[in-house]
Amino acid sequence: MSVIREHTQATLSDAWRTINIDALQEDSSVNFDTSTLHPPLPEASEPEVRQLAGQVRQLLRGGDAEGALRGCLESPVYSNSSELARDAHLQTVIEVLQSIKASDMTPMLQRIYASPGGSECLDVLMKYLYKGMAATSTASGSSAPRTPTRMTPQQTGFSQIGARPGAPTESTGAAMSVLLSWHEKVVEVAGLGCIGRVMTDWRRV
Amino acid sequence: MAAPEVHHLFHNPIADHSFSADRKTLAIARDTTVELYSRVGNAFKLKDELKGHDKTVTSIDIAPNSGRIVSCSQDRNALVWEPTPQGYKPTLVLLRINRAATFVRWSPSETKFAVGSGDRLIAVCYFEEENDWWVSKHLKKPIRSTVTTVAWHPNSVLLAAGSTDAHARVFSSFIKGVDARPQPTAWGERLPFNTVCGEYLNNSAGWVHAVAFSPSGDALAFAAHDSSITVVYPSAPEQPPRAVVTINTQLLPFMSLIWNGEAEIIAAGHDCEAFRFKGGSDGWQLSGTLEAKGRPGMGDEREESALNMFRQMDLKGKVKDDTQLKTVHQNTITMLRPYETSGSSVKKFSSSGVDGRVVIWNV
Repeated sequence: MSVIREHTQATLSDAWRTINIDALQEDSSVNFDTSTLHPPLPEASEPEVRQLAGQVRQLLRGGDAEGALRGCLESPVYSNSSELARDAHLQTVIEVLQSIKASDMTPMLQRIYASPGGSECLDVLMKYLYKGMAATSTASGSSAPRTPTRMTPQQTGFSQIGARPGAPTESTGAAMSVLLSWHEKVVEVAGLGCIGRVMTDWRRV
Repeated sequence: MAAPEVHHLFHNPIADHSFSADRKTLAIARDTTVELYSRVGNAFKLKDELKGHDKTVTSIDIAPNSGRIVSCSQDRNALVWEPTPQGYKPTLVLLRINRAATFVRWSPSETKFAVGSGDRLIAVCYFEEENDWWVSKHLKKPIRSTVTTVAWHPNSVLLAAGSTDAHARVFSSFIKGVDARPQPTAWGERLPFNTVCGEYLNNSAGWVHAVAFSPSGDALAFAAHDSSITVVYPSAPEQPPRAVVTINTQLLPFMSLIWNGEAEIIAAGHDCEAFRFKGGSDGWQLSGTLEAKGRPGMGDEREESALNMFRQMDLKGKVKDDTQLKTVHQNTITMLRPYETSGSSVKKFSSSGVDGRVVIWNV
């Protein structure tokens, strides 16, 4: 009798529904390092990124904006590199983007897209545009930490209001508008497939 | 190009469709049932409903010669429907999986079928005479995630599978006593069960939605969620492939693809229309859509008068009626199948989608 009662009580509470059965299964994806599914990413150190940034700036000063853009898109800094190196590279990309005139964007993107490996380049550019947007929106609160605060499930929705950064300042607004106009131009050239690839790609920048 | 033949069956998604060999019967996976339609004149009329699953039916396939229908469902079962004079008689298959079955296809020999599942394995099923039931053997290693799609090689031994771990793989599904020893191919010579003949990943590694062997079986194409199609040309067993060509497109991801000869692929998916790709081992490219522009009945016939314009503005608050897509399918195409072939080239193919339409296209 008591067994049945225990059993019904156990099933009446739906706690069993929240048991993560994948954790109990030996060969499930939870107990498996998914990073081994992919070939390793190239790693870039911070000095290398700074060196590349120097070369890119030199190209920019020489008036070769397309070369500068290609230069930084062909060697993206992926998520396995240090946070500093990734941020430094993002800054380089944004600097190049800001220095290109609006009227030059589309022809330049079309030239890059038509060249060999150009589709990949624009995918990387799209990744940096989204990363740039995320960075400008989190950095807009003057002293907000760069890493987004992670919400734990226990917290209620109300605390999110407090965590929301203050109104964007003028400079971040300008940076965002540059990124948005690039975004529009990249979608025109590389299509919606480009956005899909950024979302599916495991090589995060 | 003649206009496509459109059959709007109902307003529900079609998970999968399959025609019988004489193209007179059409099986549709609709919700938890398999519906059989038969051709009456130019239309398809509902003839029979096969009820046996209690969750969504995810895939069906009619074996062209034997007429057997196999269906699989999220209820973790597969059923083989045997045609008898009294109607279809279902037989349960011992799949031994504890996640949904996602995809099923008969092998060209029709002695086996493969069921992909969310249990990170493929069940290769065959009939055991002595016990009088369908049993399965599992292809497990090295699949790490749900199998979304499978495709058979013409020799009925090699099996390609696409998975959400972003890999397209080629396995051997050789079963002693069922299969004859296959001829050696570029994929492999000795092929015991579960030999991994190839494992492919494209650059950005999206989920694989569709795989297909070329008619000769010497090339493999797969479509992934990064809006790309990758074609693999193997060189020799245990060797790296001769060529791997990836085409990244500007379009939305493809859900299904078929080969038309060795130099053309037709793919369709979230863009609601079918596209043609042409190429070979030295490169592939998108060569256009199969949608005939300016089809009759596509809204252009509405008179463009000022009265009509103001009437539209008054009724709907806008001048143009933009609730219709310009494509035949009004939602994602989920499945393409050859309909009429001559040799290795496809003359007509059929497509089905989330919009409840089955369309037969002329290539």
